[in-house]
Amino acid sequence: MTTSHHPTEALLIQHAAGVLSEGRDLVLAAHVAVCHLCRSVVRRHEAIGGALLESLPAAAMDPTALDLALARLERPTPTEARKPSAPDDWIAFDSPAVAKAWKRRRWAAPGVWVAPIFRGPGRSRTYLLRVGPGMSVPRHRHRGCESVTVLKGAYDDRGSIHAPGDFALNDESVEHRPTVTSGEECVCLICTDAPLIARDWVGKLFQPFVRI
Amino acid sequence: MHALAIETLPRPRPPKPVPPLRTRLAMTARADFAALVAAVAASRDRAAFTALFVHFAPRVKSYLLQLGTSAETAEELAQETLLAVWRRAPQFDPMRAAPSTWIFAIARNLRIDLARRERRPLPGEEREPIEQPDALVAAAEDGDRLRSAVGRLPAEQAEVLRLAFFADKPHAEIAALLRLPLGTVKSRIRLAMAKLHAILEPSP
Repeated sequence: MTTSHHPTEALLIQHAAGVLSEGRDLVLAAHVAVCHLCRSVVRRHEAIGGALLESLPAAAMDPTALDLALARLERPTPTEARKPSAPDDWIAFDSPAVAKAWKRRRWAAPGVWVAPIFRGPGRSRTYLLRVGPGMSVPRHRHRGCESVTVLKGAYDDRGSIHAPGDFALNDESVEHRPTVTSGEECVCLICTDAPLIARDWVGKLFQPFVRI
Repeated sequence: MHALAIETLPRPRPPKPVPPLRTRLAMTARADFAALVAAVAASRDRAAFTALFVHFAPRVKSYLLQLGTSAETAEELAQETLLAVWRRAPQFDPMRAAPSTWIFAIARNLRIDLARRERRPLPGEEREPIEQPDALVAAAEDGDRLRSAVGRLPAEQAEVLRLAFFADKPHAEIAALLRLPLGTVKSRIRLAMAKLHAILEPSP
């Protein structure tokens, strides 16, 4: 899949290093899962992680560690329960957390559903947001940053189209009113550092119900 | 002793230039790790597993300790990482990654899983389309070149790079820790990564 909006190098490094917060990492992982460009960048960052791993001094292991490991080798591995999966027409991103959230989605306003995934750290929220065709999210700004990956459909943000797999990072300088341009619903995976700041009366009305 | 050995052998051709001993040892060791993983995959070779365990488990533990994991958990996760190496050895693709890269990714994901109990796919489980040839990393060689390049980075770049990977902190906190502007931290990480990436580019 070719995507046209990508995360910054710094975010990809933090993803490869495994040090992003859960929500942000999930949004980034969804993009990386379908973007072969970013996946090859992440793979190179991981190679650097491997080289750094080898440059570390060896820590002392428990004297019985090796025997214990050898004794555990032939133990059968626990078989995993079937994982829930998200709808087939979303981007190919396999995440139990996303699939579970989708089953818990609730209609928040006409044409809009929200499915919470993670709360925290702090006021951060990670959720799925579905907006119907032709609809707009009321004008708003952000406290801290918002990361978004499109799972299905497309939206227009200030003249730029975001299609399935595209990633966006919106900081406090952004004020926008994203509009769904696909003929079908648009579903996004979103992580915000804090609740949105509604900038018009529609948003102010809408926010208490949507709680994002 | 070395010279003696050469003189007593028949020499049909002039010898190729010999790389310095350290490099030769490193190259042997590198090739061996991939071969050890292959031996585990092909024949459930416990001796090969033992060699991998002895080399990697203490380094994985060290990595986890740097990230602030408790000694007990680091020990357990180092075990789990090497057990995953045993189980997933058949999925290891030496064309795609060096053993150290693969093991780093396994350890990273197990640590994240423990923190989250939400599984990220372990490397090798992802179903991926065929990459373009230029994206393929000639892994073992690159691992060598990378490791020596990490050792040659300027100290201030090496420090931020290590923190970026081994401190569970966003870049803003790394900046606060080092009392540096955020921009400086980001540009040092970028510079260090650019140097290391140049090493991974295919040579002309």
